[in-house]
Amino acid sequence: MIIVAVIAVLVLIIGIGIYNSLISKKNQVANAFSAIDVMLKKRFDLLPNLVETVKQYMQYEGDTLTKITELRGKALGTNVSESDKLALDQQIGSAVKGLMVSVENYPDLKANTNFLNLQSTWTESEEQIAAARRNYNSTVTTYNNAVMMFPGNMFAGMLGYQPMQVLETAAEERKNVSAKELFNS
Amino acid sequence: MAANFVISPTVQIVLDELEIQRKKIVSANYKGWGLILGGILLAFLVTNFGGLIAGLLVGAAAVIPGGVMLYKISDDTAQYKSRFKQEVVGAALSSVDQSLTLEPKNGISESEFVSSQLFTTGIDRYHTEDLICGKVDKTTFYFAEVHAEYKTETRTKNGTQTTWHDILKGIVFTADFNKNFNGVTVVRPKDFGSSIGAWFSKNIFSVGDKNIVELENDGFNKNFVTYSTDQVEARYILTPAMMERINDLNQRSAYTVSLSFINSSMYIAFPLDKNYFEAPVFKTLLKPDLLDDDMAVLTFMYDIVHELDLNTRIWSKQ
Repeated sequence: MIIVAVIAVLVLIIGIGIYNSLISKKNQVANAFSAIDVMLKKRFDLLPNLVETVKQYMQYEGDTLTKITELRGKALGTNVSESDKLALDQQIGSAVKGLMVSVENYPDLKANTNFLNLQSTWTESEEQIAAARRNYNSTVTTYNNAVMMFPGNMFAGMLGYQPMQVLETAAEERKNVSAKELFNS
Repeated sequence: MAANFVISPTVQIVLDELEIQRKKIVSANYKGWGLILGGILLAFLVTNFGGLIAGLLVGAAAVIPGGVMLYKISDDTAQYKSRFKQEVVGAALSSVDQSLTLEPKNGISESEFVSSQLFTTGIDRYHTEDLICGKVDKTTFYFAEVHAEYKTETRTKNGTQTTWHDILKGIVFTADFNKNFNGVTVVRPKDFGSSIGAWFSKNIFSVGDKNIVELENDGFNKNFVTYSTDQVEARYILTPAMMERINDLNQRSAYTVSLSFINSSMYIAFPLDKNYFEAPVFKTLLKPDLLDDDMAVLTFMYDIVHELDLNTRIWSKQ
């Protein structure tokens, strides 16, 4: 009788452990995404300042600057899904990258201290977002393993937990940001 | 990888002078120890045949001059070693980079070693020497020899026996890191205990170490376990490229290195078997490969700044 009770208690403890572990992993995924969101917000906040600084020097890049402003407006708008926000960020990233390449044609801008600070802060934000995305993928992988493997899959079924998609990492994010490639290509 | 140090005529003159001094030291050592050992032997023989007092007198007559001779030469030995470091090792440093300086009596302080969080074991005995400082482009760095130990005590029939164990015997390298960060990230060699911790962290999260960072590089994970107070920041520091560079650096080191990123600096501990930058006493100074080992270590440390790309300053930290 005692043995049965001990086994029952053990099974209960293990069950509670697995249940809590699944919830914790799901919360970690949500937390990891919010870290990306914070980084994106920081990055989007840099844009008005960057556009304003660049506008004073660049006469021929008006279209790019308008596009960047528009994309930022969309990304910060209400009812933008997480995936849309990430897609918009990628578009902003490419537009800014194009802009940085054009800087070569504006020596005065290249010498502007405010612009140089913005440029390095922008690069920093690129790596911070890459780090946050990698963190998100790591938490999703851990969560997916827990949801798909025995005995977690039994509880996951009861809780209605489904495997999640990892974020595709662009080939560029897998390598270190190179100043040469970014600014001098 | 080791840069060849071509001994200049000026350094050769110093080496020639030091070689004469070294021979004097060796000769005094042989004579001193010869007198002491001979005196002890003679004391035993005379005690057997002529009594204890005669034995002690004869022994003392040889042991005392031997001791005085060793005592006198100890100052010369210290001066010989110091001059070797300043003038010969100093010239070797300048041949690598003019900015490099050597402070033989300084090192990495015990408090800095502890705060680097490279090792968690409490220190019972600490020694550091040969601080080398330099700057490559925008990156300042320094490294020093460190010997940190802890002791264990076991009770035996004759009392307590103390045994000393190494925490680190080698070199600690530190450099200004090229990115700003606020938390603490530590990369330690993987051992059985940390592997178990990592497994629990991965599979049974609620009881595992929540500070363990699961990184994507398999080669890196095979050798190291990473802990951090901030999961995103750890990945910001340990980019895929940085992990590859650390793997390469680790492969070229005899033992697995430990790294920490704290207070805007990075620390690397290299366990080593040898005491570097020391003047040989019982071996000649006049051999061509005299400084090869020292130069290999020196250039290895100097190249870390390039190897880890610490001069890339494209982030807000300049």
